[in-house]
Amino acid sequence: MSFTSTDHKRIGLLIVGTSLVLMSLVGVLALLMRSQLALPDETFLDAHVYNQLFTIHGSGMIYMVMTPFALGLGVYLVPLQIGAPGIAMPRTTLMGYWLYVCGAVTMLSGFAANDGAHPDGWFSYPPLADRVNSPSVGSDLWIVGVFLAVTGSILIGWTVLWTVLRKRAPGMTMMRMPVFSWSMVATCLMVVGSFPALLAALVMLAVGRVDPAVFASNVWNIGYQHIFWFYGHPVVYVMFFPYLAAVGEVLAVFSGRRFFAYKGTVLALLTFAALSMSVWGHHMFATGQAANDYYSLTSILLLMPAGIEYFALIGTILGGRLVFRTPMLFALAFIPQFLIGGLTGVMVGTPVIDYHVHDSYFVVAHLHYVLFAGSAFGLFAAVYYWFPKATGALLRENLGKLHFWLLVAGTNLTFLPMFALGYLGMPRRVYTYDAIDGFGWLNLLSSCGAGVLALAMVVFIVNVLESLRSRRPAGDDPWGGQTLEWATSSPPPEMNFPPERPLPPITSYAPLLDLEKQKRTGAGRTPAAGEGSQA
Amino acid sequence: MDHRRVFGEVFTLETAIASFVFAAVLALMAVAVIRRRAGTGRHPSQRAENNRLESYYLGVLGVVAVFLVVYTALANHREHHTPADRPTTRVEVTGFQWCWEFRYPRAAAQRTVSVQGNCRDKQFPTLVVPTGTTVKIKITSKDVIHSMWIPALRYKMDAFPNHRNTFALTFNQTGRWRGRCAEFCGQRHKSMDFWVKAVPPDEYRKWLSTQAAASATGAAV
Repeated sequence: MSFTSTDHKRIGLLIVGTSLVLMSLVGVLALLMRSQLALPDETFLDAHVYNQLFTIHGSGMIYMVMTPFALGLGVYLVPLQIGAPGIAMPRTTLMGYWLYVCGAVTMLSGFAANDGAHPDGWFSYPPLADRVNSPSVGSDLWIVGVFLAVTGSILIGWTVLWTVLRKRAPGMTMMRMPVFSWSMVATCLMVVGSFPALLAALVMLAVGRVDPAVFASNVWNIGYQHIFWFYGHPVVYVMFFPYLAAVGEVLAVFSGRRFFAYKGTVLALLTFAALSMSVWGHHMFATGQAANDYYSLTSILLLMPAGIEYFALIGTILGGRLVFRTPMLFALAFIPQFLIGGLTGVMVGTPVIDYHVHDSYFVVAHLHYVLFAGSAFGLFAAVYYWFPKATGALLRENLGKLHFWLLVAGTNLTFLPMFALGYLGMPRRVYTYDAIDGFGWLNLLSSCGAGVLALAMVVFIVNVLESLRSRRPAGDDPWGGQTLEWATSSPPPEMNFPPERPLPPITSYAPLLDLEKQKRTGAGRTPAAGEGSQA
Repeated sequence: MDHRRVFGEVFTLETAIASFVFAAVLALMAVAVIRRRAGTGRHPSQRAENNRLESYYLGVLGVVAVFLVVYTALANHREHHTPADRPTTRVEVTGFQWCWEFRYPRAAAQRTVSVQGNCRDKQFPTLVVPTGTTVKIKITSKDVIHSMWIPALRYKMDAFPNHRNTFALTFNQTGRWRGRCAEFCGQRHKSMDFWVKAVPPDEYRKWLSTQAAASATGAAV
């Protein structure tokens, strides 16, 4: 594979592949943490090591796995879905990828530093993260690494957004774009609108590491939090929309019908993205320095666009003819599992509740239901769904189903007990707990769940390697896809739609479904023509 | 205990709403998965949208959202309202790496009482408070950000350096509860715990004067 190709499919696969490798690496850090927490007063890890692990696990998963994977999916799919021959500004996209790789390597190299990697958590509040309190070189490497990776994400976000706006095929109006491409519009708007705030926050930290006196003043400490969370909330939806939309496409295809409530969903995504820029203070209720009423108002209003998205997902399957292939299983599990994250999100957006559960394991449970039980299930739905397109080979169905069921069991066993732990008073970011605290058996359950998750991931890796080693040809369209990427070969040729594979007529956001219907009805009044006329 | 009561009301209501929504979504999914699976011979719907249903639904969502916003904001204000007629006890709390100091300014015969621990070997300092009064707490930090969390009261407040936060607690029964630092603050964050002990007012006054006498003779506890 060429590492300097400007073919968007190559770059997309590089981004997606790199983030999957990093997912395994920083996932192992979580396994170490769960081993340490399985029993009270364990001494497997000390506080110093544990602090590095949760910092790099969180930073790695957010900055270097879920965000880049979402953008990488966009780099690969958006040009195909809108009938373009390539991405806008491919060299910029490629530079974004390499900045991301350099950033990941820089951050992880902290483990080789004398005092180890950065130990202050993925949001690294000053003054804890200044030079006096965190003297390790690992902290400097973390700042540089995250800065590089996020700069890369911003560049990639711009090129995807520009592709959507400028490279659509003739006939591909905005309201004929597939839901996934629309989700990338909302996502990239948030990337370019909010990610620069993280760069600003990192610069503040860097200045504070040169001169810690900066953080002697409260205005810089609380200011850092405001600027950080101005990035920190939209990024949650950057790590959500593309996966939600992938789930939407999978549900539609395996329901054998077009995506339900398309217009409402597009509007909901855009409203969601706009509102996301106004809710950051709900991470700061306990600081005593944020306007509770305002941030609670904007946060709770999010349930309206979120409700519309759920309306579309449920509506799609309620009128479908459901086929339970592996991508469909992941997409279906996404619905209730993400919902747990969303409903508890309303709770933590309520100041009265947040005062208790903030910085406790309740929040850890909430964010993992959003990012893992939700987004990661969307991620796997996307992988199983588009893997045949990108490689020309099908993934094994039996291994996929095993992966799925293990992942469902592991996810809920790991993260459900954490709600109770937080409610009962276990703070996050503690390397151990006392036997008398009574957190023991819930932690043990959670750690067992983590073991099941590890097993599930092994099955997934085996599935990918096995499917690539002894290939079962996928054909151009193994699922009955509805969007343009399924109209070209698997893998698609360099220019996506060369003269020998011309674009089909673009009649709606499901052009291949229209074509199929036209073929059936256009071939005269055969008995089959009455099919599908039921509402 | 006011915080605990208000938290309980809001948490119960939101849990009930969340459970209802979750059950409804599960039920709809069950209908789809059972009745709409390929084997049943039904054909997929051709209907791309249902705008009327969608607008009614959006209206319902809007009503729920507005209700939640208003109801929880009022609860939040109620929680932070301190009745003027109740006697007040003032405590200054300082978080530091890695323990707590509780000061009672001019509490016993104009003498300031201070309780400080080092949180080593599970020796945690105790915040002693009288029942039936409004305990006004001013909280700050000497170094990094900490957070004073009393799970039994369902409340926490951050301690910032170079900044003072104020909040009020009330205790309508005697007892002893564990408090913790909730904001990650470095190496010994885990053991930055404390105790809260609520005692009747006369016992509290007795405790204050014993403490004041002890510190006057230089034998601070």
